[in-house]
Amino acid sequence: MAFTVFFVCAWLIVSIFTIIPKRLTIIENSFIFLTTSVISINWTWIINEELKYVKITEDPTNYAGFLFFRSVIIPTLLMVQLNIYSASSSTMKKGLVIAASVLCLLLLTILSRVLEVSTYKDWSLVFDVVYYVFLHFISIGVWRLIRKSTHNEVKHS
Amino acid sequence: MNFLWETFDKNEISILILMTIAYAFFFVLPFKFKREITWLLMMLGFTIGVFFDFTIGGGLIDFFTLNDTNNYELFDFCYYLIFAPFSYFFIYFYDMFNIHKKTFIFYILLWVIVGVSMQWAFTKLGIVEFQNGYKIPFSFAVFLTTQTFTALYFELIQSRYRVLKKS
Repeated sequence: MAFTVFFVCAWLIVSIFTIIPKRLTIIENSFIFLTTSVISINWTWIINEELKYVKITEDPTNYAGFLFFRSVIIPTLLMVQLNIYSASSSTMKKGLVIAASVLCLLLLTILSRVLEVSTYKDWSLVFDVVYYVFLHFISIGVWRLIRKSTHNEVKHS
Repeated sequence: MNFLWETFDKNEISILILMTIAYAFFFVLPFKFKREITWLLMMLGFTIGVFFDFTIGGGLIDFFTLNDTNNYELFDFCYYLIFAPFSYFFIYFYDMFNIHKKTFIFYILLWVIVGVSMQWAFTKLGIVEFQNGYKIPFSFAVFLTTQTFTALYFELIQSRYRVLKKS
């Protein structure tokens, strides 16, 4: 069940990314995807496998669902969020975009627990929310850094 | 749990030497791509290394251990850092030799052989240890996928951007 749910969610978020107007260049989107993938993979490994705060399912199909969540859904959702965020005119709208994106990740995390993909041992949903907010700010920081770097290069050339 | 290393021996020293050679070569080669393209290629190589290692080399599948143990250590991170310049070299020479439709397959196959040979060398140096039935020929599938993806991705970027620095 978890495999199907997360596969459909992955398909949905990739499709949304495909159809939305892109405010970021392909290079900026790529950087966001790559950076957030690396953070997401390392974070889940350290929390789940090293510190053992969360236990991940040993059922192969449900585990595939976890891989979709970690490696496809999280980075793609962050790209979608950033494309909408950069198109938002006011701080209020930008805040709402981040909040909606964090909420999506939170709901998927709850779903992951309901479907027994992950079981909390010494962990709390609040920690996940803090991590997701942190991940959003990192993605915004990376985007600004890349944009600044690209603009500087244009100015100097 | 030790986040630095289990024992500092052959594999850790090999990684340090490989890193030094790879990054020295990276800085010796003239920078031909724009800065963001160089960083993008480095980041792509690093991410591909992390992605494959944590997906098939850990968790439920767990086809290999890195640096004597399944735990995440400093030298595992250094090992992934080696992938970054190799992704850059792959595209650097792809552009330098002006690879096109007729030479694409041969160029990919050449790098797949380089990649698989390096992985074989890593097993001899004790950096990688296969388990759960994984055999070196399986790496052909991994490298064929990663090298083809990297080359096609570069073609996509190249079709939309000026990737080279102004001469």
